[in-house]
Amino acid sequence: MNNKTLLILKKELRELFRDKKSLAMMLIIPIFIPLIIIGMSALFQSQTEADVNTYNKIGFNYELTPAEIEILDTLEIDYTVASTEELENSFNNKELNSYITKENTNYIINYDEANIESSGAASMAQSYLESYKSVLEANYLTENNVDVNTFNNLLTYEQKSIEQQNFYSNYIVNYAFLFILMAITVSATYPATDATAGEKERGTLETLLTFPIKSKDIIVGKLLSVTLSSIITGLLSLILAIIAIIYIQNTFDIYNGANLLNTQIIISSIVIIIAFSIMISGLCIAIASMSKTFKEAQSALTPLTFIAFFPGMIAFMLNISNNWLLSIIPFINFSIIFTDITNGNLNILHLILMFASTIIIIVIVIYYIIKQYKSEKVLFTN
Amino acid sequence: MINVKNVTKKFIKTNKKKERQEFTAVDNLSFNVKEGEILGILGPNGAGKTTLLRMIAGIMTPNTGNITIDDLMYKKNETDIKKMIAYLSGNTKIYGTISPYELLKMCAEIYDVPASEIDTRIKKISQILNMDAFLYNRIEKLSTGQTQRVNIARCMVHNPKYYILDEATSGLDIITSQIILNFIKSEKEKGKTILYSTHYMEEAENICDMIIMVNKGKIITTGTPEQIKKETKTTNLRDAFFALVGDEHE
Repeated sequence: MNNKTLLILKKELRELFRDKKSLAMMLIIPIFIPLIIIGMSALFQSQTEADVNTYNKIGFNYELTPAEIEILDTLEIDYTVASTEELENSFNNKELNSYITKENTNYIINYDEANIESSGAASMAQSYLESYKSVLEANYLTENNVDVNTFNNLLTYEQKSIEQQNFYSNYIVNYAFLFILMAITVSATYPATDATAGEKERGTLETLLTFPIKSKDIIVGKLLSVTLSSIITGLLSLILAIIAIIYIQNTFDIYNGANLLNTQIIISSIVIIIAFSIMISGLCIAIASMSKTFKEAQSALTPLTFIAFFPGMIAFMLNISNNWLLSIIPFINFSIIFTDITNGNLNILHLILMFASTIIIIVIVIYYIIKQYKSEKVLFTN
Repeated sequence: MINVKNVTKKFIKTNKKKERQEFTAVDNLSFNVKEGEILGILGPNGAGKTTLLRMIAGIMTPNTGNITIDDLMYKKNETDIKKMIAYLSGNTKIYGTISPYELLKMCAEIYDVPASEIDTRIKKISQILNMDAFLYNRIEKLSTGQTQRVNIARCMVHNPKYYILDEATSGLDIITSQIILNFIKSEKEKGKTILYSTHYMEEAENICDMIIMVNKGKIITTGTPEQIKKETKTTNLRDAFFALVGDEHE
């Protein structure tokens, strides 16, 4: 890096750190990351810990035997016995979550599929019927002199989860990373706009162009200052995300036994944050430098905020597997590689392809901006 | 010496009907500026003065023709030429978030002034322009007059050989304008070469050695103020301009 580039970098950083709005964008946005992480965790926890009393009210249109009552008590089902018509009315009035009607030996579970509480009650009703059926089967076998244990052990099975990663931990770590990328994008737009369209609007660009500095030095200096600001936002967001993740791991039961963070995840996050910051800063400068005014540049950059975030989020939500093509598509590649890292199945070739495509894009963007800064049409809009 | 030879600059403008039209801002201009001379470029708004001076300052490129400064051309020696020049226009703004001291130090570093000389030079310029009281305040908090003094100081810090001043007094109050005129006179005494564009004819008459009058991108006359007045049989440059252009300026 030559002396002139350093002078421009120094000038840009001085302006950046003295401008309250730039500082606010750089430092305040990361504060939202832990709030989002903790908020989402609290939501997940509340979903898994729904109070049984909100979905255990089940009605029956027949008299219950002591064996059935015992099962209902064991399952904590709050039961009501009434006529079918009365049960229907109670269900419609939301006094019951579900009700069972019996015709001979056929039982019908009536519930509302669209209602979470009613679906939960239907599930409890199914458990009750399965248990009661087992009791009836055991009684029948005993009456016919068949050993119940021998009969039940003709075939045995058990379920064992081979998935190492807890569903919620995977979800929260990947989302935290996506929000960090979004924070970087949002914070890069302001200094990039200020350093290009802002300078044009304030009239200082003409002064800068009279200096004995090559366009290349001006661009690289500006790009480095915006990149540095984006990296600061990214790293600050990462630190706050790590603190929030440590907090939620110790606070919310849904993460019990899960390994939310490790050194590989943190190091790879830092590397991807740096690569992403350089690329997004270059793109922001390229777009903003085409605009005549600060306001016009901000409008032009708004779509970039969405483009930088949503493809990655959609790829994660759809659980898209990585391949060589996705590894070179900007924005999607960062989030998919990160998902691979958190899942422990990182492919080095994909990582190399991601870096190669990022470097190529950065070089093209820098070349394009240097050309822009030689174009009188762009520089002298008046 | 500054040599401008057959320089033309055209722009594409879009009219109200969104049709693209070619517009010639500077039309085949040629002239020389001798060392130690103040050359006034006079003409109404839109005559092509700013475009011409931007090309001489190296921030715009002519479509045709050549500009050489001390026999150097921008294509090959852009930074060398820019080091010899100081450009100040009515549109020139300076960075508000830094102090005059920081701005002058930055400019001195950009122009490769030796580090050991920078502080001494800033101190000297600050005294000349009476800037000591606000040297370390933020520029955005200074008055228009103080800001213009900082702008002049910025031009002086690298001790340029050539000054290019484009409508430098335009829109300024009488005191601030006088600061700039005094600065031009003092730099002339030091043997500096100054290109000075203005639409204030009286101002130019007082300080310029040579005058070039331009209208619609073309030179309509050139000479000393006395020669132009004599040639047009008028008593001042304003009347001389109208005598030369007739109704064409409208």
